[in-house]
Amino acid sequence: MPSVAKLVDTSTCIGCKACEAACQEWNDNGFEVGTFQGSYQTLADLDHRFWNLIKFNEVESANGELSWNMAKYQCMHCIDAGCMTACPAPGAIFRHDNGIVDFDHDKCIGCGYCITGCPFDIPKLSPVTQKVYKCTLCSDRTAAGLEPACIKACPTSCLTFGTRSDLIQIAGARADELRQDGHAAAGVYNPAGVGGTNVLYVLRDASDPERYGLPADPRVPWTVSFWKGPLKWIGNLVFAGGVLGAIVHYLRFGPKAHGDSTGIARGPGEPGDLREADGHARD
Amino acid sequence: MPATDRKILRFTFQERAIHWLAALSFGYAALSGLSLWSYSFYWIASVLGGGEAVRWGHPWGGALFAIALGLMYRSWARQMRLDADDRLWLRNARKYAVHEEGGLPEAGRFNAGQKMLFWAQAGATVLLFASGLVLWFPSGMPRALLEAAVLIHPTAAVISIAGIILHVYMGTAAVPGAFRGMVSGWVTPGWAASHHPKWYRERFKG
Repeated sequence: MPSVAKLVDTSTCIGCKACEAACQEWNDNGFEVGTFQGSYQTLADLDHRFWNLIKFNEVESANGELSWNMAKYQCMHCIDAGCMTACPAPGAIFRHDNGIVDFDHDKCIGCGYCITGCPFDIPKLSPVTQKVYKCTLCSDRTAAGLEPACIKACPTSCLTFGTRSDLIQIAGARADELRQDGHAAAGVYNPAGVGGTNVLYVLRDASDPERYGLPADPRVPWTVSFWKGPLKWIGNLVFAGGVLGAIVHYLRFGPKAHGDSTGIARGPGEPGDLREADGHARD
Repeated sequence: MPATDRKILRFTFQERAIHWLAALSFGYAALSGLSLWSYSFYWIASVLGGGEAVRWGHPWGGALFAIALGLMYRSWARQMRLDADDRLWLRNARKYAVHEEGGLPEAGRFNAGQKMLFWAQAGATVLLFASGLVLWFPSGMPRALLEAAVLIHPTAAVISIAGIILHVYMGTAAVPGAFRGMVSGWVTPGWAASHHPKWYRERFKG
């Protein structure tokens, strides 16, 4: 089955937040009114009941030009998914045949290792259920042949759903178009450090993705890869070696000599037995 | 009674209580930790009540172990200091392993191997507890701390478990009488004289 993907063309995002509303609605996540933080952005960050956030990035370029870079932010459904690498509960994070990275909340134990594994800082631990939540790329809709809710709601065709290979071509063509329109640095965001993603972006200025709130070179943290790779095998060898070593030592050299007939003191202490505290023969 | 029939108190009730509090909490923390170490060990989580129970209980078990080790540190740290004899002992530790005690300095209440185990466990526990606190509450924790903790915690755990495998072997099969000494508290004079001669001579032999 080909991988599905989502394309976000930031050049046509108008910041209407229809995708946010559709996401809340479809996933039945409700909404709690917060406090105004001096930005049009709905929340400062994603949370366990808010999986899709338009970041309103206010950026000043070197020549003093201001730009308002709106970019939808959600799970990237990485090819090399750090959350899956870090997860200790078998099956709690899994990949559908169509490439979507999804959580099985019956198997999630709430340890939060996926939070450390994710270079995009996406998964959020719920203090209520002690489980981790994030965008599912509407795996329940896509399984029924529907497009994700955010894409259904988008009024400007900024969002496109399709197979990953198609969208890579469409994104490339759109970036070409933007370059011809004078946006010399336009390009596609499909970061190689995580093997590519199933959410692709067209950026008017791809030279610095951080201006869109996207990490410049996301990678699964090396400490996570090392822990789940070499360290696991070193540790297993140490555990097995320790147990085997003890058995071999016992067979080869046996126990220490007792010092007297049995070496084992029988029964509880009796009058006349010796304690350090008695001060016996201390001098 | 004749001197050879007299038992010797190796560990007081307080020392034994602290040791077994540490042993039980370590056993739980190590097993629950191993269940999250590798998919191959995840069945241990099922035995311990499931993954969610382990995620809840492992940090508490670890915290209890850290407390037990703190108490152990308070009672034993002074006695665990290495002296010149201990350093000579460590350089010749191979002789101890192959039962050639003749070439080794006499051990006091704790031999140099036991002292090294104590310091290794103390160091590993500091690392385990600090990194464990970070992993206990991942939400909002700075990334740099989380990324360091996921490496420090299992590394220190491997060192700690390796030390305990050796410790359990030494304390049971390898040195008969030692286990009884940690359970009932009592050992025989012959045992004390052969395994901890300096301690026996200085403290008990008239």
